[in-house]
Amino acid sequence: MTIIAESKPKEYCDYLLRPGNTNCAGCGMSIGLQWLDQALAGEKPTLVIPACCGIVTAGAFPTSGYGVPTAAATFASSPALASGISAIAAINKEKNPIICWAGDGGTYDIGIATLSAAAERNEDIIYICYDNEIYGNTGGQRSSATPEGAVTSTTKSGKGERKKDIMAIMAGHRIPYAATLSVAHRDDFLRKIKLARATKGFRFLLILSPCPTGWKSEPDESTDLISTAVRSGLFPVYEVFDGKRYRINMKPDETPVEDYVKKQKRYRSVAADPKGLKDYIDQQWRYLIGMAKAFPATKDDGAFLATDVKAE
Amino acid sequence: MREFITGNQAIVRGAVRAGCNFVAGYPITPASSILNEIVRAFADGSGTVVQTEDEIAAIGQCIGAAMTGAKVLTATSGPGISLYSENIGLAQMGETPIVIVDCQRMGPATGGATATGDGDVMFARHVTSGSYPIPVLAATDAMSAYRLTYEAFNIAERLRTPVILLSSKAIAMTRQTVDLESVELPAAITRQRATSNGTFQPYHVDHPSDVPDFAPIGGSQRVRFTGSIHGEDGVLTIDRKKIDAKLKHLNAKIVGNAASLELVEADLDDSAETLVISYGLADGAAREAVKQSREHGNLVSHLTIFSLWPVPEIALRAAITPSIRRVIVPELNLGLYVEEIRKQVPGVLIESIQRIDGGLIYPQRIVDAIEQIEINAARGEEQLR
Repeated sequence: MTIIAESKPKEYCDYLLRPGNTNCAGCGMSIGLQWLDQALAGEKPTLVIPACCGIVTAGAFPTSGYGVPTAAATFASSPALASGISAIAAINKEKNPIICWAGDGGTYDIGIATLSAAAERNEDIIYICYDNEIYGNTGGQRSSATPEGAVTSTTKSGKGERKKDIMAIMAGHRIPYAATLSVAHRDDFLRKIKLARATKGFRFLLILSPCPTGWKSEPDESTDLISTAVRSGLFPVYEVFDGKRYRINMKPDETPVEDYVKKQKRYRSVAADPKGLKDYIDQQWRYLIGMAKAFPATKDDGAFLATDVKAE
Repeated sequence: MREFITGNQAIVRGAVRAGCNFVAGYPITPASSILNEIVRAFADGSGTVVQTEDEIAAIGQCIGAAMTGAKVLTATSGPGISLYSENIGLAQMGETPIVIVDCQRMGPATGGATATGDGDVMFARHVTSGSYPIPVLAATDAMSAYRLTYEAFNIAERLRTPVILLSSKAIAMTRQTVDLESVELPAAITRQRATSNGTFQPYHVDHPSDVPDFAPIGGSQRVRFTGSIHGEDGVLTIDRKKIDAKLKHLNAKIVGNAASLELVEADLDDSAETLVISYGLADGAAREAVKQSREHGNLVSHLTIFSLWPVPEIALRAAITPSIRRVIVPELNLGLYVEEIRKQVPGVLIESIQRIDGGLIYPQRIVDAIEQIEINAARGEEQLR
């Protein structure tokens, strides 16, 4: 599949994420926002953002800001606020997508009630969680997305609990489309945004988003880290149709998870023996392979996209 | 020992000294470092700290722990205390002691997450439906934050009530030199335990302003806990007499004990014509202004209020010495507390100094106000407001 790059140069203000923003170097959110922009190919979404680093990005204009309409929701209620916008947009027959752009705190923790309710109502919203596995905006506290063993400012000797499986939770809502997106795999990332865009109803996209500040990693290694996370199996890249048909997009290649762990000081307490993470990978893949075998995606799932991309 | 610490660190130290053994919180600027510091303070096993999934859970866990007898604290900022509201009412209804720290930001909603202000002074007083009173203290710096955190635990335990301690971003995150060990503090108070004799009534009081004896939930005595209106036995009631008694008790327990809750610092001059009344973040500027103005030869009194609610009426009246002609109240809000002072001291010219943009009130503004006394008096009170 070929994604055709836009040929017309953009004006400064046309970018979804404007140049000169205040995001940290190596932040996965920045890559995600740029690729979201590219996949939408000129279409202007309305962004609804709860408390998270992404709303700080919006705030520092003129040195930064989004080139699209942006609404800041309270921490717990971005899907609710987006539902309200979506209801009126439907009456007015507005076509531009309404996108919630939220961190893991606003998705896995405080926002899960409104997220679940919006998914249950099958609101016409694209919900994108950029999951950096930490409360990055308030000094690096643990969230329920933080992996086992990771040191945060509130888990000083490494987190004792496992990461919550938000994809299983969202699939359990039987939403039309849910997928994980890797910021190290652009084609797959853009395809999924386009597919989500072309799908009606509630769509949930999960991005593993490197945070050099919280992960204590090198900014220039961010995409390599995500590549390693995918290849080691720690971050499976897959999609779920209607909450019940699974397609695994990439298979791990036996890259040791140690390669991932040793480049992040947040894993210092388990770096010598990341057994917890290995068990997590094993169980996760047993589950995923089982689901993909028992409930496989059909060839029609996401198929229209082939023609869609060709037409571009 | 002199230390260089933030207001948030001082609050943690005050809590530990008061015997705090349970903290639940949710990350929020500028209160987050209280949670981070508590993790460190309880690393020796002296207490339990939980980072919850949101603010509703944070205060919910605190209520649960306090019902068993723990001394609990939770810390947040404006958006979080908004989510605490319903549970603060529950704690009031169940007469549950909790110390709630509000590190104030500027403005409503997200406001200025890293900007300061004292805008929650009325919100703290009226934070629950029904507006039943809650003691509210206000820190002026790291040292008072330490002392008032300790006092807040004592008030909470003694009156079995939530207590709100107001701090603000500038106090929370600014380092100051303090000597905490040198601070003289009263003995730590722990709730009066119920004796196991006779039939236990969890909310029984002899007089409306009394405080019921405490028994932990799940213990040998049967404790009922409910947010619904209830009688002394903790059972839901539609008996208007019982309802009236319970709600009047919730009020009388605080208002009837107001004299014992007054925490102020009075620096009075018997011949002063001007009185500066300050609290919170404006207090530092007020102290400096009073000092400078005295050096200029002016006769000025100064009253610092640490216990905002109930209003310290006795101290306020005592500060209005016979020669006082004018009161100046600097505040980092729209002049919220000055209205309370106006109610307390009718007939005295009152001038409000305000700032709400996240910046501080500079001492010079207060000095100018003090020294323009003749000009302002000629203009009349209305123009000063």
